[in-house]
Amino acid sequence: MTAWDVFLQQVINGVSLGAMYSLLALGFTMVYGIIELINFAHFNVFMMGSFFALWALQAMGFVGQSHILYGLPLAGVLLLALLATMLGSGVLGVAIERFTLRPLRGVRGTAPMITTIGLSFILYNIILLGAGADSKNYANPLPNTAWMISGGATLRLREVLLWVVSLLLMLGLHYFVRFTKMGKAMQATAQDQEAARMVGIDVDKVVVITFFLGSALAGAAGLIFGLYYNYTSYIIGYQAGLRAFTAAVLGGIGNIPGAMLGGVIIGLIESLGGQYIAVRWTDVIIFSLLVLVLVFRPTGLIGRAAPTRS
Amino acid sequence: MHTSVEQQTLLQRRPPLLEFKGVNTYYGELHVLKGVDYRVGQGEIVCLLGGNACGKSTTMKTILGIVTPKSGEVVYAGETINKLATADRVKRGIAPVPEARRLFPRMTVLENLEMGAFTRNDTAEIEADKERVFGLFPRIKERLKQVAGTLSGGEQQMVAMGRALMARPKLLCMDEPSMGLAPSVVEQVFDIIQEINRQGTSIFMVEQNANMALSIADYGYVLQTGVVVLEGSAQSLRDNEMVQQAYLGEMKAQ
Amino acid sequence: MPEPHLEPSETTPPAAMIRLHSWIPAIRDRAKSERFRPWLYGLILLFALAFPYIDGNEGDIDSAANALAYAMLALGLNIVVGFAGLLDLGYAAFFAIGAYTYGAFSSYQMQPEWSSFWVPLQWLGLVQHLTPDGGIGTVHFAVSFWLMIPVSALVAACFGVVFGAPTLRLKGDYLAIVTLGFGEIVPIVARNWPYVTNGAQGLSGVTTPKLFGYDFSVLSTPYYYLGLVMIVFLIFVSTRLKHSRIGRAWLAIREDEIAAEAMGVNRTRLKLLAFAIGASFAGSTGTFFVAKLQTASPEMFMFPVSVMLLVMIVLGGIGSVAGVVVGALVLQLLQSWFLQDLTQWIHALGNLTGIVFLQQLDLVQSIELIFGIILVFMMLYRRQGIIPERAAVTALSYDEQNAMPSRRSIEARLAPLHRRTIDPSKPILEIKDLAKSFGGIHAVAGIDLSVMPGTIVGIIGPNGSGKTTFFNLITGLTDPDRGKILLEGEDITGLKPHRVVEKGIARTFQNLRLFSNMTVLENALVGTHTRTSTGAIGAVLRLPRTRREETAARDRALEILRIFGNRLIPRVQHLAHSLSYANRRRLEIARALVSEPVVVLLDEPTAGMNPTETLELSDQIRSLRDRGVTVLMIEHKLAVVNEIADKVVVLDHGEKIAEGTPKEIHSNKEVLRAYLGRTTDAIAEAATAS
Repeated sequence: MTAWDVFLQQVINGVSLGAMYSLLALGFTMVYGIIELINFAHFNVFMMGSFFALWALQAMGFVGQSHILYGLPLAGVLLLALLATMLGSGVLGVAIERFTLRPLRGVRGTAPMITTIGLSFILYNIILLGAGADSKNYANPLPNTAWMISGGATLRLREVLLWVVSLLLMLGLHYFVRFTKMGKAMQATAQDQEAARMVGIDVDKVVVITFFLGSALAGAAGLIFGLYYNYTSYIIGYQAGLRAFTAAVLGGIGNIPGAMLGGVIIGLIESLGGQYIAVRWTDVIIFSLLVLVLVFRPTGLIGRAAPTRS
Repeated sequence: MHTSVEQQTLLQRRPPLLEFKGVNTYYGELHVLKGVDYRVGQGEIVCLLGGNACGKSTTMKTILGIVTPKSGEVVYAGETINKLATADRVKRGIAPVPEARRLFPRMTVLENLEMGAFTRNDTAEIEADKERVFGLFPRIKERLKQVAGTLSGGEQQMVAMGRALMARPKLLCMDEPSMGLAPSVVEQVFDIIQEINRQGTSIFMVEQNANMALSIADYGYVLQTGVVVLEGSAQSLRDNEMVQQAYLGEMKAQ
Repeated sequence: MPEPHLEPSETTPPAAMIRLHSWIPAIRDRAKSERFRPWLYGLILLFALAFPYIDGNEGDIDSAANALAYAMLALGLNIVVGFAGLLDLGYAAFFAIGAYTYGAFSSYQMQPEWSSFWVPLQWLGLVQHLTPDGGIGTVHFAVSFWLMIPVSALVAACFGVVFGAPTLRLKGDYLAIVTLGFGEIVPIVARNWPYVTNGAQGLSGVTTPKLFGYDFSVLSTPYYYLGLVMIVFLIFVSTRLKHSRIGRAWLAIREDEIAAEAMGVNRTRLKLLAFAIGASFAGSTGTFFVAKLQTASPEMFMFPVSVMLLVMIVLGGIGSVAGVVVGALVLQLLQSWFLQDLTQWIHALGNLTGIVFLQQLDLVQSIELIFGIILVFMMLYRRQGIIPERAAVTALSYDEQNAMPSRRSIEARLAPLHRRTIDPSKPILEIKDLAKSFGGIHAVAGIDLSVMPGTIVGIIGPNGSGKTTFFNLITGLTDPDRGKILLEGEDITGLKPHRVVEKGIARTFQNLRLFSNMTVLENALVGTHTRTSTGAIGAVLRLPRTRREETAARDRALEILRIFGNRLIPRVQHLAHSLSYANRRRLEIARALVSEPVVVLLDEPTAGMNPTETLELSDQIRSLRDRGVTVLMIEHKLAVVNEIADKVVVLDHGEKIAEGTPKEIHSNKEVLRAYLGRTTDAIAEAATAS
């Protein structure tokens, strides 16, 4: 492979990773936009989502990558798995909001954030204790079809599929937020919660729906992770979380298009950084980027109001 | 305290749309409203006067349901609404125009107006109300695509009022409509408030600018540290020495 | 109506909790009584000293020593999170720094080639010259453990300053994330810098401490006693810091940063101080720990460790010294002593009942799950922890709050309020072409003002005319776009708020910014921050000079509170949020006066007061002038302004539209228009007709 091929391959990888991080960052940034809460538990909802999807696929009879499907059956199976995880994760997110975060609404300071740290621990330890620390081989019906492009780099079917699914989900969310009544209510609540109440918006309901949608997207990202890497484990939330978080901050926390852009950038940094610098330094690079953005440009690349009010 | 002229006026007041009966509210241990009674008759303009931190904003918040009274009743159209959520009150016909406007800063003027009709489903009527708002506020029609955060204070006030009107309310609650506005703009705004009232909406207004408020109101209450110290028809309040001294700036016999 | 910063009541705990709760107050009351306290501590200390002899088990003593180390870490984190209110999620990074600093310089990890450069260090005993095969030989770092305890504290503190300087101005959640970032970066660096740290395998062969020839080696007991000494010292330092000028300033920052800065507290410096001191605790603990284990590896310092420390202080009681120690000991000893046995019991129970889940449950493995559950549970049901930070004093009844002021203190009222000599012929405050715009709005649009000393200037104008912004510009809360502010001829434009207080301008806020969870006296004492100078070291040593300073500050605060007669003095130990509205306004004015200002800016001082209270306060403000303080006062009550103002300035739309005596202002047509609107003519007619 020529140097150009290597580069192109890493770009492809980066975009795939980026799609996943975008979905994760989206849900996270939506919640922050509405209730100004940094929800650590979000990334373990993602992890749980990937398990929900795994169990759904296993329930449909798939074990590992032995059973391959094509065409319509493939689409059907994937759709079912997607629905299972989005529903499961969405409900999980709503439960978290309802029972642990709503009682703390209005409490000053970092108590809500500390609670999400606790929830995060609870979630991944449930999986760790229940399912074990080993990586689970993912039930994956995707074929290994790939195309050669530009001589050396390959583009796999699964990548195209994942890009398409992510894009559809993001467009769906965008459409929902921009054009539906509930979506406008979400925008209004994010811009001014009191004013939203004053035009008759049920803010509690808006929060619940935001959590549901955000968590559902996280679940979808979980399925994508499993299909892409062929494994899942209790620790993936923790690892992906940092990257998705940085993506959200990079794009401007609370900003939906920003989260999408940020996700792709982080994905590219991870793949290109891993290739040209070293994999073991990727974490440091991304964390340093996070710190730099927060210190020097807290509004993010396209963000809105700066997070420096006391 | 009341002259016989006022007693007559009292008897002539319209059936009540909104009533406070012995309402007591607290902020933690702070007793903010102390057994207050208000009454807004249908079709009336009623104003609540008082200096800063006397309980005016709390009154507004209590009407909207942001604050719940510890005791006493808030009665709207015959129904006690103490426990009713804000969104439901809006659905029942109470629309607020908050202090400092509180428009949705990143939405356009048109989008803000449309948000005002959030609780409604009757599309044709909503369009009719939009036209009505444009009629009342011609300046708004010119700026439909403009992002609300970039409007001037007076324009924001008009959009805020328009947004409230889009809910086709029975009771419009206005919190300090004159705040931060140039005198000429204030005059325009109060003219429009009168017009809105003429078109059938009852108005409850909290104001520091006693003069403006009393010039268009039917009835007024004066609040001081949570207690209604004075009430009466707007005319009687205007003539009242205490009010003149406290709020109209000692214009008499200097 | 201004909103007090009240903590909403906790969510109702389940019934079982409430029953358990009834035991606890009984124990608590005993522990709280002042006379009983020294006996309690003595008892605990005695038990702690005797412990290794009571329980001869080497394993137990070892766990106890480890527990002490974590308690020391909890104390350090408590300074950052509890005292100063900065959420640090990466505290383990400083632990790592302290550990590796000693570890790298006392093991065989780094062995550079010998050269003459190292000779003086060899002479000092810091390094040894090894020549295993003859030849040039290598350097063996053999820095003394005892030396490293303070040195690693210092090194960690330096890192604290380096991490903190760019990041401490971020908002709470963002600061937490950034610290999490640092907390992650440090172990990664440790893992990938094998020269210094031996990477993932970890350091080995760390030299154990020696005391007068006695080598600690692998026994636990000497470490236990050393740990005991260290923790007593750190408890002492924490407590001293808490009850000092520094601790007060930290608490003020935690309550309301902006108000703290406006009262003279240098936010940046104090936050850095908290961060650095907290880091130093972790630094020396790191050295202790690595010496005890004789190894250090990156796993010991990762995010779960930082979270565990957080759980300890949340469980024990954020801000409470005793609380965090208890929390740490409970969690650590729970893990090492009880969890094993508890698991056996649960297995037995499982076998008895046949419930498979209980048979297989392993609590030791589930410790992180338990941490998560504790965090969520405590946040929802008992945010203040096992041992809350302070006991609140109950609020007075309405009647007690409104006691009349005594007339006794007339003589005291004539003493000057500050120590400066002011030239009465020159303006004390000059403002030249001051302007500030927000977006397109000209909040303040070019104001000129000259204030003579010993006068009361009333600032009036319709809502939104820029009065508060004007005050914010003078006091440094906002930076002006253009213009100059001169205090006694000195240019103070653009100075930060705490510097402005130092120079002699103090203020109150329109919407009240008291430190709600601090007492009346403590609120007032914050005002003395700029006039006192005890730093952290002075706070710990509490030399006679410091004690004199504290007494003087207290006297000053009480003297100022006395201006308000019986209103505030009987309530000095009551929390600010329990005061009546009028008393809270008075307290805020008192707090401003405590800093010995030459000019005081009062933003709507009588707002919300009834006529009697307003009259009383107007009198008190007038007496301020007689005591040498110049007053600028934003007021809506024109009667007050007429009564006491020497000069009135009228603002409208950010501009000064009139200036003069109250009488002059009254007949000014511009003012009438701005204020009174279109029915001016009607009013004027009515006025002339009467």
